[in-house]
Amino acid sequence: MPANCEQEITLTGDLHARPAGALAVAAGRFAAAISVTVGGRTADAKSVLGVMGLGATSGQHVTVCAAGADAQHAVAALVAILSEATKVGG
Amino acid sequence: MSTPSVGIVLVSHSAELAEGTANLAAQVSGGTVTIVAAGGTDDGDLGTSAAKVEQALRDADQGAGVVVLPDLGSAVLTVRAVLEDYGSAGSVLLTDAPFVEGAVAATVIAAAGGDLKAVAAAAEEARHARKL
Repeated sequence: MPANCEQEITLTGDLHARPAGALAVAAGRFAAAISVTVGGRTADAKSVLGVMGLGATSGQHVTVCAAGADAQHAVAALVAILSEATKVGG
Repeated sequence: MSTPSVGIVLVSHSAELAEGTANLAAQVSGGTVTIVAAGGTDDGDLGTSAAKVEQALRDADQGAGVVVLPDLGSAVLTVRAVLEDYGSAGSVLLTDAPFVEGAVAATVIAAAGGDLKAVAAAAEEARHARKL
């Protein structure tokens, strides 16, 4: 039974290349389909270029959404990365 | 992870461009993937070197194959010439991809454990990614 999970986080720093890379590498290890949405634009979390293309900046709200068997774990992992990795500039 | 990741070879006419792109891709992907730069001629001029490409292929292969990104057309000729005589050419995929974006996208998928086909596909799909 595929699970769905969604969580919102407010960025404490800009989503530069390195945090975007960390996010995409982590996302790629999950089977679930995972998206990140910022300001009405959505990208595949497994696509580093897509995530960087969002141009997400400090203070913006990011919604991580996943669908699939490991969706819950995926969302928890990616939200943790977003809160950690955006603390420093990439 | 214990399984080896796909290696990446960056073939550029410029040694600095190849090295810089390798450095950037390593930084973005967390440094777990073997990325080998093969830039410039044997004399250090602008151009490509069959010897450098062949050595890079060997150095990059960790057992899961190698994805090669050339920067401009004649780098493709050099890679193809090397692959004609290369022993394990079946484990090498030459991609048609934007150099910087393709290198970053491919390396991230390799770091996430993607196989040879998935890594090559990420490189080629990079041409559709919009920056603005």
